[in-house]
Amino acid sequence: MPTVVLMDVSLSMTRPVSVDGSEEFQRKNLAVHGLNMLFEHMASNYRLEFTSLMAFSSLWDLLVPFTRDYNTLQEALSNLEDYDKTCVESALQGVSNVVQQEWGSACPCQVVLVTDGSLGIGKGSLRHSLQTLKHRGDDKKFPLPFPFPTKMYIMCVANAEELQMTDAMDNLEELLRLSGGDGQIFSMEGPLCMKSVQAMFGRLIDYAYSPFHAVLHCGNLSSDVQVFPRPEPVVLDEEVEPMPRSVSTDLEIIGFIEIGDISSPPVISRHLVLPIAVNKEVDEVGTGATDELEEEPSASQMAGKSPNFCVLLHGSLKVEGMVALVQLGPEWYGMLYSQADSKKKSNLMLSVFDPGAEPLPWLGKISHLGPVSEAAENPYGEDDNKSPFPVQPQVKRSYAQNVTVWIKASGLQTDVQKILRNARKLPDKTQTFYKELNRLRKAALAFGFWELLKGVADLLERECTLLPDSAHPDAAFQLSHAAQQLKLASTATSELVKNGLIYNSLYLCGPRWRQHLFVLNIVRCL
Amino acid sequence: IPKMFSVSHKTVFVVDHCPYMAESSRQQVECDVLTKSRAQGVIPLAPVSKSLWTCAVECSMEYCRILYDIYPKDKLVSSFFLHLFILQVNYIVSDSEFHILNSWRREDQSTHELMSALAAVGPPNPREDPECCSILHGLVAAVEALCKITELQHERRTTLMDTADRVANRGRIICLTNAKSDTHVRMLEDCIQETILEQNKLAAGSDRLMAIQQCDLVLVHIHPQGEDTLVSDRPKKEISSLLTSEVHSVRAGRHLATKLNILVQQHFDLASTTITNIPMKEEQHANTSANYDVELLHHRDAHLEFFKSGGSSDINLNKFAYMIRITVKSSEHNGTNVCFKVHQFVFKKLKTDMSPLCCAGDLHMAGTSTRENGLKETITLKWCTPRTNSIELHYCTGAYRISPTDVNSRPSSCLTNFLLNGRSVLLEQPRKSGSKVISHMLSSHGGEIFLHVLNSNRSTLEDPPSISEGCGGRVTDYRITDFGEFMRENRLTPVSESSHDPSGKLPAERAKAQLERYTRYWPMIISQTTIFNMQAVVPLANLIVKETLSDEDVLTCQKTVYNLVDMERKNDPLPISTVGSRGKGPKRDEQYRIMWNELETLVKTHAGDTDRHQRVLDCIIACRSKPPEEEERKKRGRKREDREDKAEKNGSKETEDKSWQDSERLKGLLDKDEQESEVIKDSPDSPEPLNKKPRLSTEEVQPPERAKGPVSLLTMWTNRITAANSRKHQEFIGRVSSVNNKFELYQQLKDENGMDVHENGKATR
Repeated sequence: MPTVVLMDVSLSMTRPVSVDGSEEFQRKNLAVHGLNMLFEHMASNYRLEFTSLMAFSSLWDLLVPFTRDYNTLQEALSNLEDYDKTCVESALQGVSNVVQQEWGSACPCQVVLVTDGSLGIGKGSLRHSLQTLKHRGDDKKFPLPFPFPTKMYIMCVANAEELQMTDAMDNLEELLRLSGGDGQIFSMEGPLCMKSVQAMFGRLIDYAYSPFHAVLHCGNLSSDVQVFPRPEPVVLDEEVEPMPRSVSTDLEIIGFIEIGDISSPPVISRHLVLPIAVNKEVDEVGTGATDELEEEPSASQMAGKSPNFCVLLHGSLKVEGMVALVQLGPEWYGMLYSQADSKKKSNLMLSVFDPGAEPLPWLGKISHLGPVSEAAENPYGEDDNKSPFPVQPQVKRSYAQNVTVWIKASGLQTDVQKILRNARKLPDKTQTFYKELNRLRKAALAFGFWELLKGVADLLERECTLLPDSAHPDAAFQLSHAAQQLKLASTATSELVKNGLIYNSLYLCGPRWRQHLFVLNIVRCL
Repeated sequence: IPKMFSVSHKTVFVVDHCPYMAESSRQQVECDVLTKSRAQGVIPLAPVSKSLWTCAVECSMEYCRILYDIYPKDKLVSSFFLHLFILQVNYIVSDSEFHILNSWRREDQSTHELMSALAAVGPPNPREDPECCSILHGLVAAVEALCKITELQHERRTTLMDTADRVANRGRIICLTNAKSDTHVRMLEDCIQETILEQNKLAAGSDRLMAIQQCDLVLVHIHPQGEDTLVSDRPKKEISSLLTSEVHSVRAGRHLATKLNILVQQHFDLASTTITNIPMKEEQHANTSANYDVELLHHRDAHLEFFKSGGSSDINLNKFAYMIRITVKSSEHNGTNVCFKVHQFVFKKLKTDMSPLCCAGDLHMAGTSTRENGLKETITLKWCTPRTNSIELHYCTGAYRISPTDVNSRPSSCLTNFLLNGRSVLLEQPRKSGSKVISHMLSSHGGEIFLHVLNSNRSTLEDPPSISEGCGGRVTDYRITDFGEFMRENRLTPVSESSHDPSGKLPAERAKAQLERYTRYWPMIISQTTIFNMQAVVPLANLIVKETLSDEDVLTCQKTVYNLVDMERKNDPLPISTVGSRGKGPKRDEQYRIMWNELETLVKTHAGDTDRHQRVLDCIIACRSKPPEEEERKKRGRKREDREDKAEKNGSKETEDKSWQDSERLKGLLDKDEQESEVIKDSPDSPEPLNKKPRLSTEEVQPPERAKGPVSLLTMWTNRITAANSRKHQEFIGRVSSVNNKFELYQQLKDENGMDVHENGKATR
């Protein structure tokens, strides 16, 4: 989940902070200090996050495009200049543009807005933006909510009392609500100083940037892992299940499935699963600081060299072309697989399915997937040439069952012509003739389309009169019989209709009729 | 966030069966298409025309067909993002009495059921007295039906218990009738309103009924072609807090079909995609091929990206403008205005002026208003030449069931058959220039066709550190092939819900239990194990992990053990020999001792499961060779006793908890072993961890990673001396016999300090 840091560089940010004695700070300095702390944290604990830095006043400027290079971000922070007034709306428009340009409109994004809570004056101020919200044309819409899912963190270099004296807090709350409500407003506690700004950014880090650690289990084999980015809680149905569901910190493998069987399933998010060395020895490794410094490289080397289950699992998944089905919580599942990037580096990846008992119709209920060993006969076959997947639905879909639809005239014409073509080839085509005739008749009865039955009866009688002398005597017999039955059906009472379907199929043999004219094939251009 | 029990959860169709509906729609169908060769002298059949009833029935069946294709009744959740409700249709035919054709039960929800029920009703009788018939009977029955609880509502209410009131009851009534006037329509609305109030009172006192919280009435007034309508269109309006109503006045025939197609899309959040450039050939002209288009319906989230984009990003604007194709399907009276508006809108986009105009909302609005007026909106995707890609795992953000708009047309059935045969097709966005963007894939799974949405944006996970750079990444002798075999044995298969396991565990729980058994002793690297490198152990190793053993299985295990005894007697080499052994005699004994120990460890983890498992262990203990020296035996005996004590303690308890504890204990033991080996590695003057290959040359004695780190003079000196000495003398016995440096070193330390020092002092997990 990429992060955009949106830094207020309006003049009000240069307001000095009264500190007893010593040095004098501006609010900007405090903000920069806090952001530096955030970037340092990310560099060491969340380094795969893409972050960009934007500064805004009445205009906005993308200082650092999305990057994982936190040095660049910190450097840009140290070169901030001061500009005019705060205009949040245009800055948010900028965020919207920058994010969509880079990640499209489906990728969830975090926005860290750093401001002092003085939100501009007059036109362009947040107050003005919110007041005019409802009186806008389509061409001047407020940028919130963003098209992409957003988490908005508003960092105020001001304390709550200060914000509540004006309508700043109300406006910021409205802003958060407009963004979709996912996020938080942070303000400073106590006097404005380095310590309290640290505390505020510390709360942000705990809230949004703490790494997600979990244990991956496969029976008794296990590995400590970091899941990146953090899996987000999901709300299923606001009405029936309003509580958000979170991914468990114990990821339990249930079993394994071939890639071909799981077949590009839809997922709600993807995450890297990175094995980590949880170093519980740290406390016991003596007290000397110098010792620790020297220990570090060898400790990470050791971690690289002691066998880790993730690496084993990844290697085998890759070689075998399989995925591991993993349980993430009650009725919530995902899959682990090897993902290779363009540079031939590969990694263990977790894809999270939609929460629920049956995320993929072609697997059936996940809780009803059991071990192969229980089956009387190996469903994968002795030579590994079969598969129990996909699970077949009980009812065929309309396109798989030759339904009758006559909404367009062509549908009806085709069906009638099919019958006539077969009628001309009686008695050879008796079986198909009756099959098509019964299909038409069933549909005509359901639709109450008795006029059609009469019409087709007339057509069959006409065909009877047009039979050449050389025709088989049975042809005439079948045609007149069918015509009679159709006429009977079209005048019947409903009781007769129920039982009156034509069952007559005297000749059940004969070659299968092929619809030469009407078969289309998709051209294979391989 | 979608609501599971929205208005779309229940739909009741009420189709008027009064004598007037037997009237002709006056839309004629020529069904006798004569071929030229036969045309002479044959009088073609007069065209047939459908009655109003036939039109109403076939269009509502088409509505149901699309619905059941996209939201099948037997699936609670069909795909990602919007998760779907069970959608049920109750079909009521109304005349002097009313015929209820089906119920909310899942097995009643299919077009087959409805078709045969409709056949039994038959068309209305034009000679019946129109005064005796009223659609009212049907509408009252429809409200009653909405109060009846569905299976899903019942299930949810039962599971939620305290919060059962969260399960809402909403529904929609689609009434196809020929109303007399606007006043007549108002009378029908009032009647429904009253019935709802009455029924809600009844429902308050019943378990199987639920009060209606919201009801949407969609009244479709059908009139024959060429006749002026007496009922006017009216957009959705609120009659009361419980009831909304909208009126559509439509000519029978294809207009009605179009209307219901639009309604099903609106009611169930569907959207349309047209696949273009599908190369097809007719069988008789195999040499030539033509390109066909096929239109599909599916959930509109399949185009979420398009609907959401627009706004500021001009790239998206461009893309979007090109995607939307608007076709004028019919020219209803007020269609022109809207038509113009829409085109202007598209034109604006095509010009791609950079102003941040036209957000998603606009387009959606435009779309709905166009639909109302007979315009059709579809998103075009281009067929990509198929390639086999079943083993490729695409990053797919959604999969939605489809239904072809024109299901039995030749191009449609050609496409669906192609897909049903197991092929997948990638779809690309048509673009004027630039690179190809593949955004969707059509694929069938078990006889159902899905439109998969593929991610075409930049990934936030690009360029991650390779797994070989992380923990355990430097280890090179993982048992990759063995674990692959393990994965095959632990593949999953669907187990029918009816098959009940005596343990009462669900199949997935049994799968996890199997994983637990299979991994009680599973060394991850080749140099950590002897027995798993030996063919001779395979039969036993495969059987011992089973939940239950037959007598025959025990026999096989025993045979395996005897075979090993035999091997030992014959002094056959063991694969352990690759781990640094030289010479003969006692060393071979040591190898066997290590092998026996490992085998015992494996079997002990299962010995508590059943008596038969225990018999295998007994066999091993009885058969295995005894260590040569008295001293050794004492020590090992002590250790074994210790383990057995613990094994007994835990083995007697059968519950899952205990077996878990057991495995935890085992893990502890294994950990301890690992730690011991780590201790050795840490210490500068201990030997290099053993490799697969026998140590033959001195170069290997010098560990490569040591050379990098800071090395003390003492270490260098010791290493040199060790290297030099190792050429001259026979290897130290402990070093030779150790498995991955595990077993023998530091035992005196343990004896002095008690065994647990290292375990407690160093926990790796």
